[in-house]
Amino acid sequence: MSAGSRARADRRLVDAGVAVISAVLIVWTIVPLYNMVRVSLQDKDDVFSSSVFPTTSTLKAFQTAFHESYWLLANFWGQMATSFYIGITVAFLTLAIGTLTSFTISRMRIRQGWMLTNAALLTYMIPMSFLAIPFYSIMGKYGLTDNPLAVIAVEVTFATPYAIFIFKQYGASIPHELDEAARIDGASPPQIFFRIYLPLMAPALVAIGTYALLLSWNEYLYAFLLLSSDSNITVPVGLGKFLNSDEAPWNYLMAAAIIYALPPMAIYYTFRRKMNSGLTMGGVKG
Amino acid sequence: MTRLSRRHTIAGMSALTAAATFKPRPAKAAEPVTVWWTQGYYEAENQAVTDAMKAWEKTSGTKVNLTIMNGPDLISKMIAAMQVGDVPDLVHAVTGDRFLVPRAAWDDKLVDLSDVVDTQKNEFHKTALDSSRFYNQALKKYSYYTVPIKCSTLMEEVWRPLIEDAGFSDNDIPKTQDAYFDFFQVVQDRLRGNGKRIYGLGYSMATKEADSGTLFHSFLVAYGGAGIVAPNGKLDIDDPAVRKAAMTALDRLTGPYKKGYVPPGAINWGDVDNNNAFFAKQIVMTPNATISIAVAQMEKPDQYYKQVITQGIPNGNDGKPVLGIVSVSPCLIPKGAKNIDGAKELLKAFIQPDNLNKYLKETRGRFLPVMMSNVKNDPYWQDPADPHRPVAVDFGLIRPTMPWWMAYNPAYSAVLSEQIWAQAEANITQKNMTPEQATEEAVSRIKAIFERFQIA
Repeated sequence: MSAGSRARADRRLVDAGVAVISAVLIVWTIVPLYNMVRVSLQDKDDVFSSSVFPTTSTLKAFQTAFHESYWLLANFWGQMATSFYIGITVAFLTLAIGTLTSFTISRMRIRQGWMLTNAALLTYMIPMSFLAIPFYSIMGKYGLTDNPLAVIAVEVTFATPYAIFIFKQYGASIPHELDEAARIDGASPPQIFFRIYLPLMAPALVAIGTYALLLSWNEYLYAFLLLSSDSNITVPVGLGKFLNSDEAPWNYLMAAAIIYALPPMAIYYTFRRKMNSGLTMGGVKG
Repeated sequence: MTRLSRRHTIAGMSALTAAATFKPRPAKAAEPVTVWWTQGYYEAENQAVTDAMKAWEKTSGTKVNLTIMNGPDLISKMIAAMQVGDVPDLVHAVTGDRFLVPRAAWDDKLVDLSDVVDTQKNEFHKTALDSSRFYNQALKKYSYYTVPIKCSTLMEEVWRPLIEDAGFSDNDIPKTQDAYFDFFQVVQDRLRGNGKRIYGLGYSMATKEADSGTLFHSFLVAYGGAGIVAPNGKLDIDDPAVRKAAMTALDRLTGPYKKGYVPPGAINWGDVDNNNAFFAKQIVMTPNATISIAVAQMEKPDQYYKQVITQGIPNGNDGKPVLGIVSVSPCLIPKGAKNIDGAKELLKAFIQPDNLNKYLKETRGRFLPVMMSNVKNDPYWQDPADPHRPVAVDFGLIRPTMPWWMAYNPAYSAVLSEQIWAQAEANITQKNMTPEQATEEAVSRIKAIFERFQIA
């Protein structure tokens, strides 16, 4: 066999290997999602059937979730509103605190600013779950238990250090000459922040905003611990109640979970391009 | 126009002040009572407690802030709440008798509810009362730190059509411990011979939640291990009879698992998962802490009346009845509650025999009453037309029963929380330990735990 044909055979072998691994990975990733959809399309009595395809597809579970016509979904849209309120507020506060801090540290060049960035990152040394009881205690002292503000405060605390880090790294790619030119033209620091810094940080803002929103959107531990009443809990905590129910209607649970997954998916695909550039450029100094 | 003089102004202000002072004010509303209640398995259970709270709000004029959350979550939240001192006024925790109350009472974190219990002391079933007394290490005494609301003992749920498919009838099901559970292995063999992919036994064997503990301890008692903790709180695990019972229980639970008569996933089942496996007809029978499996089928008369069989625990191998371990779902008031008086008043009203009976009936009788008068005076509980409820009443309230050992020594609550016996099962099924080795390891851990809970 000539060297050329051997190389071609090797390449075909590598391609075949890559194809097999890719296929396995795709199936591995897609099967749980497929199962989720399959169960949501089945009748309550059919969800344990071993058939790969739903025998009789129905949208009844989605209608039930939509109309809140099952007792465990009685406040589904209220919980959805709470999830939105928490997610959007966390995203907004994280962006506000993160951008102001990174601007102050990197553009106004405060002394020992690096210590602030590093100290913030140190908070990631302790897993979120380890701080649950201390946070519960603090929120109790402030009278914030069973108040969505408590979850917002916690989530902002955890999202902000990463935001500061990414903004600081991303901000380094924006030339300081722009600030100096603006300053010569008489711009004040707030003007530089709003008119130069923020517009140029748009990709990073989208990336971190989405990250903060998703962090709080998917949060279970703190939402469960800090919120109690049906009117204040978020969708993940509400759906958690299904797991305590005899003869749990998994089709309703899956339908509600799919509806809950739609907003973050929409956000992700809307801002995907900006998110990618925001997250990747954050790691490169200009 | 008349000019307003200083005198007029002062007079006017005084009149306004006087009017404000003497204006009749509404009576100051009583402080609300914050209640945390374990979520039911179905809507009727939640509705029953919501209705009861609304009724009390009307009669007392006191607002109730009711929060219903699922069982394991409620326990976790209560532990966190007691840790930081921000607690509700009244709590009903279904597995609180095992995982929450004993050690909280030991640590003096609960309000003594003897005065509440006293209002109905003659009404309560003896085992329910015995299950509500716990030891307080600070005060060096036993007292009533909970009020019993409802109770249950382990029941066996069986699919009749599957038994019949295997060529048997109800009458073929043996009545004694080993023969009873071996029978379902034969049923599995026959059903598999017919091409059915099914398991004979639905044993809960997970190192989490309550069902696996309930099952193991029922086996422990069946094999003669009821004296593992004496009523004075002393650990008697070195008693050869107890040690042998523990070993036999582990062997009899793990043996069928290893032979393939229990679904492999059973080592990870939460409390509802054996129910779900049963409904999916993945298993022929399952031991369950209540009759919830049958009750969930109440709206399907064919299943409720014809297909699901509820049986009590089998007799011992000697043919004698085995003591049923009674789990009591309690109400408690944590220390630091803002409205202890209101919570006690609510509780006193709630445990009026008629009120309690109404609540339990509205929950479809998944749990048993803790008052014998409910059973005697209301035909609902022993309705001969019902194939499930009278069986549960017989085994939980009429036949001989015993409390969980946490009532004697809170150390046993730690044994259950740490899932020591379920871990021993896992050591046998997953790490290939022998029942003897697994028992020895469990015993040494239990002894270490009891060292921390010395009762004076």
